[in-house]
Amino acid sequence: MTNVMLDLLLEPLSEPFFVRALLAVALGGVTCACLGAYVVLRRMAFVSTALTHSILPGVVGALLLGFSPYVGALAAALLTAAGAAWLASRKGASEDSAIGVMLSVMFAAGVALMQQANSWRDFAGLLFGSVVAVGPADLRMIALTAAGILFGLRVLHKELELASFDEEYATLLGARPGLMRTLLLVLVALGSVACVSLVGALLTTALFVIPAATGVLLGRTVPQVMAWGVGCALAGGVGGLYLSYYLPAVPSGAGIVLCCALPYLLARIFAPRR
Amino acid sequence: MTLFWQRLGDAAFALLPTIPYARPEKQACDGEAIVARGLSAGARFDGPAAFLAADFVIPCGCRTALIGPNGSGKTTLLRVLAGLVPPKAGTVLVAGAPPTPGRSRIAYLAQRPQLTEGFPLRLRRLVQMGTYAHHGWFEECRHGEASVDQALARLGLTELADRPVHALSGGQLQRALLARALVQGAEVLLLDEPYAALDAASREIIERFFFDQGHTFTVLMATHDPADLARFDRVLELRAGAVRTRHASSGHDQRDA
Repeated sequence: MTNVMLDLLLEPLSEPFFVRALLAVALGGVTCACLGAYVVLRRMAFVSTALTHSILPGVVGALLLGFSPYVGALAAALLTAAGAAWLASRKGASEDSAIGVMLSVMFAAGVALMQQANSWRDFAGLLFGSVVAVGPADLRMIALTAAGILFGLRVLHKELELASFDEEYATLLGARPGLMRTLLLVLVALGSVACVSLVGALLTTALFVIPAATGVLLGRTVPQVMAWGVGCALAGGVGGLYLSYYLPAVPSGAGIVLCCALPYLLARIFAPRR
Repeated sequence: MTLFWQRLGDAAFALLPTIPYARPEKQACDGEAIVARGLSAGARFDGPAAFLAADFVIPCGCRTALIGPNGSGKTTLLRVLAGLVPPKAGTVLVAGAPPTPGRSRIAYLAQRPQLTEGFPLRLRRLVQMGTYAHHGWFEECRHGEASVDQALARLGLTELADRPVHALSGGQLQRALLARALVQGAEVLLLDEPYAALDAASREIIERFFFDQGHTFTVLMATHDPADLARFDRVLELRAGAVRTRHASSGHDQRDA
């Protein structure tokens, strides 16, 4: 019985694409969980959804025009963030609806571009994620982005924590909360571009929100929230990859998200009330 | 293994330049703590003015009550002095310089501090944020542990240091924010009705903090409590767009004290 279990766990590891996907999901999961702690604590889940969805027109456009999909995705995400900020800057405009407008406009543009490309099938991986799609170059890219984001979070830890907790005091000390917010949005854009090949444009936002939401239920300090989030993301990521390996009908993105939701549900039921 | 990562992190930090938030402000206050000349301001920079052409001076170490009816601009005045709202006209100097973000000698306590709800933070970390005024960008908190302990003890918070911030009562939170101002090294305290919704125990600790002999602060406190005024050295009154100062004990008006 133990042997059968072990075989089930080890068999996929002989496939190079699975090992690459495993590494990629570990790196992406850790990064998104740490970044997601701020996204969730600052109630920015909707912005992160908009940024991840807007990657779609960026990638499709880049493929049609023939330049790197990463550049296209990043440009589209930054355009969304800037557009939402500009729409919301008018007096009396709500940021919420500005983000909603940008999200749907960008996604609609992506759908229109996909029709231009004349083939929905090619983009299924882009929408829902595909483990086979992670090549050595993608893995390098993910590792580099993850290192950059984690380093940024580490060196700006006290500023981000202060600006997220008490914006006015951050202003008084000169810690520039507006700049911190912009920086956080840029990091979220970078993170979602790195993870889009794993879980797909529609579901990347789950990597930011679900592990961090689990962390918020269990952690008492920001580093604790991040640590619990990382645990949840790793468990969900690895579990999801195995799920989609043995059930090919389940795309990797869907598997990962479903497996992340399990620890969240457990934490929601069993976490001590505060 | 943990130690290895810690060392690696420290080494990475050492490579980064440290850019301070604030100009260093070391010398103690002497002479005038707050000087306003022809000061006009409104709650919003592009909105109507709450008061016009106010002139007043508050000497160092002076404890001043700020009174006036609702809507007379008490909060606006405090926010202008804190550097959160630019004045429409006139000049203001606080501890020898115009109030801009990054002044460690000025502390402002809002009537209702806008803290992110449910944020996972312990009280000790909240007080530690005061030391950020003496750290720079990219720098982890390394110094100021002793001053944090001192401030916690002085405001009776030592036992609560590990309590999550969102589990504190209103009075405990108010004391924590004062401890943060103390750690920051503030000399000019701008307080917007700090006694609103305080229990007797918290109020006593806070009053001892302000009115203690050997205090080192200049205090400007918005208050609605007329019984309180006798404890202050001066009264600054905002009424119908004008600012008047008087000595709290003498009671007679005094232009430009």
